[in-house]
Amino acid sequence: MSAAPDRQLGGVSDDTAALLSVRRLVVRYSDDVATRPGPGRRGARGVTAVRSVNLDVEPGRIHALVGESGSGKTSLARAILRLLPVESGQLLFRGQDLLRMNAGQLRRARRHIQAVFQDPQASLSPRRSVLQTLREPLDHFRLGPAAGRAERAMAALEAVGLDTELRYRYPHELSGGQRQRVALARALVSEPELIVADEPVSSLDASAQARIIDLIRELRETRGLAFLFVSHDLSVVQRLADSVSVMYLGELVETAPAAELFARPAHPYTRALLASVPVPDPGHPPPVALIGEPSSALTPPTGCVFHMRCPERIEPCATRAPGETCPRGAGTHHRVKCHLWNN
Amino acid sequence: MSTPVLSVQELSVTLRLGRQMLTVVDGVSFDLRAGEVLALVGESGCGKTKTAEALLGLVPPGLGSVRAKRIDLGGKDLAVLGEPAMRRIRGREISMVFQEPLTALDPVFRAGQQLASVLRRHLRCGRTEARAASLDMLRRVGIADPERVLDSYPHELSGGMRQRVIIATAMACRPRVLIADEPTTALDVTTQAQVLAQLTALTRESGTAILLITHDLGLVAQYSDRALVMRRGRIVEDTLVGELFRKPGHPYTAELLATAVGLARPPAGRDAAGPTP
Repeated sequence: MSAAPDRQLGGVSDDTAALLSVRRLVVRYSDDVATRPGPGRRGARGVTAVRSVNLDVEPGRIHALVGESGSGKTSLARAILRLLPVESGQLLFRGQDLLRMNAGQLRRARRHIQAVFQDPQASLSPRRSVLQTLREPLDHFRLGPAAGRAERAMAALEAVGLDTELRYRYPHELSGGQRQRVALARALVSEPELIVADEPVSSLDASAQARIIDLIRELRETRGLAFLFVSHDLSVVQRLADSVSVMYLGELVETAPAAELFARPAHPYTRALLASVPVPDPGHPPPVALIGEPSSALTPPTGCVFHMRCPERIEPCATRAPGETCPRGAGTHHRVKCHLWNN
Repeated sequence: MSTPVLSVQELSVTLRLGRQMLTVVDGVSFDLRAGEVLALVGESGCGKTKTAEALLGLVPPGLGSVRAKRIDLGGKDLAVLGEPAMRRIRGREISMVFQEPLTALDPVFRAGQQLASVLRRHLRCGRTEARAASLDMLRRVGIADPERVLDSYPHELSGGMRQRVIIATAMACRPRVLIADEPTTALDVTTQAQVLAQLTALTRESGTAILLITHDLGLVAQYSDRALVMRRGRIVEDTLVGELFRKPGHPYTAELLATAVGLARPPAGRDAAGPTP
């Protein structure tokens, strides 16, 4: 990867100052189990889950990261949270590289970057009451006088639309939707600027999902909170996101403002993804199936990551990795990695 | 197209919950016609899955009781058949595909052994013949390297591959009826589109009728001919899919349609968005 000027790199912003800028991030697993030789993976050593990703999240905006299982979206989210070791690259939060911080600096930065995970049953401690869970970030970051912390914890509970009566409940005494609200309240209580949310509504049923989505939108409006919203569900992303990046086999193949991505998808993979969603209208043409299976991250293809399944493959796709460009007629905020647009 | 292959009359399922008895399926009647795809839609807990289990005789006697006036499958009344007779019918005349392929496949047997066992049991064919037929079935569900898949254990296969193996197993004896309970809910959207394309091609070829249990109105609109809307154990609407979306007959159906999530504005065709290199 040659170094290009920053404005040529991914992400959506080049005129606004980004809150989070991910630059050429590489995440690699070299775990024995993942790389043990098996059928079709002989000689493979290590898996590159995130391949030189560039991404920006602007203050007060919701940036969605979409992709299918195994595309690397969770690895990317966890690397941003520094829950996974990073092979190379930069994670600039307000211009400071999270990867070069010492423990104390990182601890201070983490107050501003909080996380919500998919399964609140797993991410909340079963042995702590709601109040204990919500107080912990305040104690950990030593925010405000100790005497006022319970009150702040309750304010966070109210902010997510839960009754403060629930404060002595334990996770098993709450419904799935309530638990996810508690997880969101825990992320809010330290008053962060960015929340990284990995599939936060995937484990909920339709009505609980809708309420969490409304809540996230409201938090962006009232508190100017930014979200990196990881999801496989395109209909959720369409209802929520300001901008979207599409991930395939460790690479961001397309990044665009949400309305534009859904109206004018430029990458053949994005188009295939959108065309796969069954529309609840019998008059609409049926979903179109892609051909083949995604390549294994253990044996990534040469050239473009998508070329083996691409219905619009042209000559250089199999051999040369496409650079990033703006699709013709689109704004500079729309970036795509595809040879079709590279001329 | 209009003769029913499966005719269900007044099916009820009552579950025992401690001392309480709970009727989760309450006097359900419907016909499944030859070759059609009939969707059974409703929210979680409405009784869709219990209906399917009851049809297949899979509600354990200790859990509750199943009653029906008649469950007619090609002239046989499944409601009065005992377990040995049901065993000859399940997998041969009526099959099922469940939501979670990892629990539907036995982890200690290779995919090929599981697929072949259905063929050997029902069609009484030999080892070699069963293997050849298994390879053929896997090719028909779009598996490019069927030999490798036959010799793999379930954990070595992706979710989409596992579900294809299940579908191949369910369709191996060309049953009259396939009950598919949320068959693609655990899969990615692109895999879902592939699997459903293969499944519908396969059932069309063998004339198998599908009872498609789903909560996804997108699947109802795109893959079904008729739909049954279920609420609290009862069927509140039984209609053609076109009618269902155009003119829902029951207020609950209208409510369900209003909450349907899908892509608000479907993407334009390729030509509209594509570059002109």
